[in-house]
Amino acid sequence: MTIAPASLTEVAPTGGPGAVAFHRTRILHLPRSPKVIAGLVILGLFGVVAVIGRWAAPYSPNATDEKNWVRHVLVDGTGPGTAFPANYYPLPLPPSAAHWLGTTVFAQDALSQVLASTQATLFVGLLAAAIATVLSILFGVTAGYVGGGTDEGLSLVANVFLAIPGLPLLIVLADYVPSAGSSILLVAAIIAVTTWAYSARTLRAQTLSLRNRDFVEAARVSGESRLRIILVEVLPNLVPIVAASFLFTTLSAIGAYVAIAFLGLAGSPTSSPPGLWNWGEMLREGFANNAVRGGWWWWWAPPGIAVAMLGTGLALLNFGIDEFINPRLRAGGLSRKAARKAGISTSTRLGLTPVAHSIRNAPEPASKVDSANAAEPVLEIRGLCVDYGVGDEAVHAVMDCDLVLRRGQVLGLAGESGSGKTTLALSAIRLLRPPGVITAGQVLFHSRPISGDGPTGTIDLLAAGQQQLREVRWSEIAVVLQSALDSLNPVITIGAQFDDLLRVHRPHFSEAERWSRAGELLEMVGMNADRLRSYPHELSGGMRQRAMIAMAIALEPQVIILDEPTTALDVVTQREILEELIGLRDRIGFATLFITHDLSLLVELADEIAVMYAGRLMERAPAASLFHAPRLPYTHGLLHCFPPLHGARVSMEGIPGSPPDLRDLPSGCAFHPRCRWAMQQCREERPRLLPIDGSSREVACWLHRGDAVVPAELARPEPAAKGLVLAEAVKQAGDL
Amino acid sequence: MNGTAPMETPATPAPAVLEGRELTKSFWMRQARGPLARKARVHAVEAVTVRLEAGKVTALVGESGAGKTTIARMLAKIVKPDAGEVLLDGAPAPKGRPRSYAAKVQMVFQDPFASLNPVHRVRHQLVRPLKIHHVADGDVDQAAEELLRRVALEPAAHFLNKFPYELSGGQRQRVAIARALAVRPRVLLADEPVSMLDVSIRLGVLNLLADLRDREQLAILYVTHDIASARYLADTIVVMYAGQLVEAAPSESLTDHAAHPYTQLLLSAAPDPEREETPRLAGRGAPPSLLAPPSGCRFHPRCPHAMDICQRQVPPSFAVSPDHIAACWLHAGSAERGAGDNGLFRPVANHSINPKHLESIKR
Repeated sequence: MTIAPASLTEVAPTGGPGAVAFHRTRILHLPRSPKVIAGLVILGLFGVVAVIGRWAAPYSPNATDEKNWVRHVLVDGTGPGTAFPANYYPLPLPPSAAHWLGTTVFAQDALSQVLASTQATLFVGLLAAAIATVLSILFGVTAGYVGGGTDEGLSLVANVFLAIPGLPLLIVLADYVPSAGSSILLVAAIIAVTTWAYSARTLRAQTLSLRNRDFVEAARVSGESRLRIILVEVLPNLVPIVAASFLFTTLSAIGAYVAIAFLGLAGSPTSSPPGLWNWGEMLREGFANNAVRGGWWWWWAPPGIAVAMLGTGLALLNFGIDEFINPRLRAGGLSRKAARKAGISTSTRLGLTPVAHSIRNAPEPASKVDSANAAEPVLEIRGLCVDYGVGDEAVHAVMDCDLVLRRGQVLGLAGESGSGKTTLALSAIRLLRPPGVITAGQVLFHSRPISGDGPTGTIDLLAAGQQQLREVRWSEIAVVLQSALDSLNPVITIGAQFDDLLRVHRPHFSEAERWSRAGELLEMVGMNADRLRSYPHELSGGMRQRAMIAMAIALEPQVIILDEPTTALDVVTQREILEELIGLRDRIGFATLFITHDLSLLVELADEIAVMYAGRLMERAPAASLFHAPRLPYTHGLLHCFPPLHGARVSMEGIPGSPPDLRDLPSGCAFHPRCRWAMQQCREERPRLLPIDGSSREVACWLHRGDAVVPAELARPEPAAKGLVLAEAVKQAGDL
Repeated sequence: MNGTAPMETPATPAPAVLEGRELTKSFWMRQARGPLARKARVHAVEAVTVRLEAGKVTALVGESGAGKTTIARMLAKIVKPDAGEVLLDGAPAPKGRPRSYAAKVQMVFQDPFASLNPVHRVRHQLVRPLKIHHVADGDVDQAAEELLRRVALEPAAHFLNKFPYELSGGQRQRVAIARALAVRPRVLLADEPVSMLDVSIRLGVLNLLADLRDREQLAILYVTHDIASARYLADTIVVMYAGQLVEAAPSESLTDHAAHPYTQLLLSAAPDPEREETPRLAGRGAPPSLLAPPSGCRFHPRCPHAMDICQRQVPPSFAVSPDHIAACWLHAGSAERGAGDNGLFRPVANHSINPKHLESIKR
């Protein structure tokens, strides 16, 4: 195992969920979901009642309605005929016009009590939460940022508080502190002391991950003082978490206040000195006077409901913050309503890219026979369009792309980040997750299994059902992604993962056969068969990627899609893996769609290269032609972005500007703002991908249309047929 | 090449603005969780010397785990070396991380998405260092705009009010460089400044660094895994492997006449479309575990030319030509080779020195 020192200095390189989410938004930007709005409305109502409730109440909460208080019940065993004097049991009044929520047994108006109680309850909740939040920031952020012994000490204190059961401690404290009953400030302080520790731990963990983030390090390198780093650089990034924990603490503080008031420890309005009305007190009086057994719901239910409603409001708002902190929680992709309106079937299950209805019944055009490039196509993508989202907000990530992958061929798909290359490949086999939606096009898989009992014949992958896709995926079309660590199951061994795969797809294999086949596969990618007993985390990045490739070839698929398979690896490992891959291709004969941003690598590896820019295919040519004689200005620029390893060192310019934003594409040709040969036409009209006269290569550029003058850089002669010969040889190998 | 003893440094060194001399660092890694977990020592950097000169770019090249970033961080004084010292203008750098040091040595980080605080506008990111170091006590906004103009972000006033998330990767990295330039440093430590950027905008940032070197005589450390970009930008390339320095030379000399087998391996593996034939990898396998690095030369288990001595003794830096050093026993001077009759230089079984390779070294 090798260790990257960079990752060692970063205690939590992945960060918490909170640490990663902020690059898109400001400090706290709540999503406008119905949940959040409902939460805000509820909290707003309680806020208004808390402020004006005492004065808006129809009666004083202590006032007794002497006039109506006439209903009494004789207590059993007292009064006439018994040895005891008559003892009357007061009966509360049910809801009426005078008392909307009836009265208590003391003929006090229940509604007035609920309204008057809101203030103290909310006040104690918010004050306790504020104190607890300040405590948790002090402890958590200090512990997390300073680290070392301070961290251990402060964490110990927090852990002790966490370990003590909260409510008993609260009861003991509230009972022990003599004047607790009369002072809500003291009550709030006691609640805060018992609730801060949980948030402190969360904040400590977040600070720990922020502490070693580059921007904090940059502030340190620029000589910023420690206090300023904490206050100005770290703390604003914690705002969503502080807000979430504040709401959570408010909720638990209200719960705690109601609980101790219910136990009679928070002071009663009737005691001396008098406490304040609160919902816990209402419940206590109700329960003490048989409100539940007497069926006098109007007395005990309203305060209970109020607590529940307030809790709901706080929780709903917290959902909103949660969604902000962790965007993955947001509506798992497409909203059903919006999708249906746009004619997209969302009935499909997980792991199946939705397809717009309109293209379901598209007639199948006759397969073009391309005489220049006669190897049999295995995967044909025609006019594929993919959006993210639907309706007006849809981002067109892939537009009108045609791509033909032939048997045994390595087809390179090059482009910068955001150019749509991964979207194109993943949606073609419908692995793209919603909100990705295929809006047009056709993907034909001409299946002719190399081994096993896969389906034969042409399958329209966009029209295929779950079952049909399952037959094709992995066994006929396999995918290797950039991060093998995310693709391998971390909790079972490599061998067990092979075993699972082979058990499903090669049911006639015995266990021993499966194991030996798995070992064979590992050896094919240059690994020792012993590695079957390893867990993914025990392997280096290169080994994991090799294991992934071994798994991809395990069922001898016809197509392997490789999405930046070596980008995260070192150059030496990269070359070893590519060599092995080419060797396997020659042996098994699968076709490869190789996606990468590294055009210089593709030139060495691919037979044919397609270049994508801003969601469209812009040039397609045999690798050698593309390298020696690019026709597209973008390709030309991209090729001059890789400094050479030989020859004189000359200044290179790269491509000016930066890749466009897909939500706001330039008019005409998307590349024109960065193109040094841009003409008026390029700004107005979008060029289509069309063949250049007399060759099989295609380019989408006005410079090669009509009577435009082609710059010398884009008119270099086609190279000698070396590359083509190679492609030819490969095709023959594939045909065999 | 007739030295009687291995030369530590190239002949007639120009005065270095910043020098890390014999820097050594190891980290402690927990083997498991819990209080009783054993801690293992990761030997991240072993006695590496790096010199940064004014108006020169020095590239530090190596695979992940080679210790490049650790060296940059030691030079920035974010990480404290276990042994060795950092010299600023020939004098030992002050202890701790005083502002006077920050005013001279600045760092640019790899990930422009992580190195700018997401909650602050560009203005804040630029104005803070200006204020801390009292660079522009008058109109800081104007000074910040001037910084943006220096990194070619125009219109500058427009960019001042942006949040990092409103900028593209290249623009962010330019802001990060502008922030580093704010204190008017003499040394810029750039840790993989372009590896997270899109291919088409990498050269723009590299050219900016070259421009800063030429116009402002900055001493720049360019940490990278991409030897081709190092050749493009740097005046000197230092190659590291598993925490050790393996080769250092002027960049063209290093890429055209690589003397160390590891450098040769790196070059053979780098993508190179102009290569005539399929490259043959000069040595396979992966870098060793730094928990228990191989004895002697850490490259010896992978080296096609490994000899007995390679696994016994750490090779010192031998001068291959006046300003080209390689830490490899293959380049031990003739005097040592004479002494090699005691068997020290007998090749290990199954490996022999490729005569063609020796030819290329003599050239």
